[in-house]
Amino acid sequence: MTGPTGGRRLLSTVGPPLTVVVFVLVAWQAADTIFDPPAYLLPGPIEIHRAFLNDAPRLLAATARTGLAAVVGLAAAFSLGVIGGSVLSASRFLRRGVYPLASLLQMVPLVALAPLLVIWFGYGQRATVASAVIVAVFPILAATIDGLQSTDPGLRELFRVYRAGPLARYWKLGLPSAAPAIVTGTRVAAGLAVIGAVVGEFVSGFGGEEAPLGIVILSALRESRTDLVFAAVGLSAAVGFLLFGAVSSLGWLALRRWHA
Amino acid sequence: MAGLEALARVGFAVPMRPSAAVTVLAAALALALAGCSDRGRSASAKEPASTKTRIRFQLDWVPQPEFGGLYAGLARGYFAAEGLDVQVLKGGASVAVPQLVANDKVEAGVMGADQLLAVRVKGGRLVAVYATYQVSPRALMVHDANPARSLEEVWRGQNPVAVEPGQSYVRWLTARYGTTPPTVPYQGALAIFEGSPLLAQQCFISAEPVDMELLGKKVRTFPVAASGFSPYLGVVAVSEAFQAEHPEAVRALVRALRKGWTDYLADPGAFNPAIAAQNPAMSLAAMNRAAELDRPFIETQFTRRAGLGAMEESRWAELARQLVEIKAIARAPDLKGVFVGE
Repeated sequence: MTGPTGGRRLLSTVGPPLTVVVFVLVAWQAADTIFDPPAYLLPGPIEIHRAFLNDAPRLLAATARTGLAAVVGLAAAFSLGVIGGSVLSASRFLRRGVYPLASLLQMVPLVALAPLLVIWFGYGQRATVASAVIVAVFPILAATIDGLQSTDPGLRELFRVYRAGPLARYWKLGLPSAAPAIVTGTRVAAGLAVIGAVVGEFVSGFGGEEAPLGIVILSALRESRTDLVFAAVGLSAAVGFLLFGAVSSLGWLALRRWHA
Repeated sequence: MAGLEALARVGFAVPMRPSAAVTVLAAALALALAGCSDRGRSASAKEPASTKTRIRFQLDWVPQPEFGGLYAGLARGYFAAEGLDVQVLKGGASVAVPQLVANDKVEAGVMGADQLLAVRVKGGRLVAVYATYQVSPRALMVHDANPARSLEEVWRGQNPVAVEPGQSYVRWLTARYGTTPPTVPYQGALAIFEGSPLLAQQCFISAEPVDMELLGKKVRTFPVAASGFSPYLGVVAVSEAFQAEHPEAVRALVRALRKGWTDYLADPGAFNPAIAAQNPAMSLAAMNRAAELDRPFIETQFTRRAGLGAMEESRWAELARQLVEIKAIARAPDLKGVFVGE
């Protein structure tokens, strides 16, 4: 007996979501053709596709800018989240003092905070990246603390018996034990980083040829170009999806011994 | 149960059995469903039905003198006397007024003529009934320290300009001057502009520059209309469906608005305190000054002949031509029935 081939495995992974996507698009287009709602209200997938093709160079450049801001934001959030989570998990006092405050990052409405980011960081990528960091850091921080706190007590005892120092305990036991949780937190943060970047662009993005997806969405809304709004929103979702996939793949590579 | 365990780990006491968790979930679901229901609203349905025609009037910005005639009409009871029950809904940058009106979510709304045409091209059946601003008061505002001395110099310069993304005048200026300065999103406030001596910002001549003046800061303004682009602004529109169903109510709305504006222009100071009460962010002094500055944009030689808020077919046709030329809309919209008068 051999396992399923690579092609079959891929089909079994990609097949179901692809089927659902195709079904939704066909049903959407059929409903659009039958009920014919005004284009400003709900365009059909064909119309959205046409809007994408008409503006493809501008949209792809905008996607690259938003994607870059989200990636940089996620990387910064990862560094801050893992380092911050490690420090907090090492001290009960700090954890109890700082963790509730850190959780506020998740509760403050980003749209209210975003204009302040422009005042602090100026217009452009820095404010956009800061916005992405703010929403992406908490899941990673929380997952790191959670992972480090969940280290197997037996193994912890074993390290103590062998008189391992705090650095060795952290590096050889704590961090590897927390790795699956950190990967999960980063996966959640990947999608949030894109949302944070787009919201940041709403207030700080440059217009014209340099416009990122957030500005494309605002412009298209004002011009009643709902087809272009959908195309831009679809692209930002695609960035989130790609980032999620990249984090998942990197996580799988890093943790494949766990999965073996 | 993973969620409960996580709560327990961060210090919450969760002495719940599975059945208790199910009860909590059921209660949460019931609360959510109750929140989504229209039960709260149906209570008012028991009140005696009004014989007046209800008009939810959606503003495109916060209460300001640019809606002075509406508030004057309400204060003097002109709408009620015409059999209209007008409820004013405050607006903001994120309120899509043309779409709300075209989709019959509100009965009337305030928008730019360019927005109205953009929605009409996309199948939204909107009808303009009253044009408050006959000349666009839109302008670019710069600090005294900014070296630009004309609209062209602002637009051809290297300093950033804060504009509302998607505004058709941005396309117009780009087409006219063949270039675009670095543009950033307009925040609808002065905080960032105040702290950025080289930033230019879009404004209404009667609004932001007045605030800056009262703060003791010198600014220069360059009207966009001077470049040849001056769509009707503060246009009150209804949907074609509402207009067809309530033609007399639409005529009554126009009459009441015109009376309100006549009173407001005669004595804005009598009505501004009521507007200021609705918008604490703008001082009464700023409102009085704004009303003074607004007058030449609202009352023109044409309105002295045709009445306040009246519109001309040629202006709509010219705007449609300009919007096609700058590719703000893909094709010229059907202008038949784009506006109605009293």
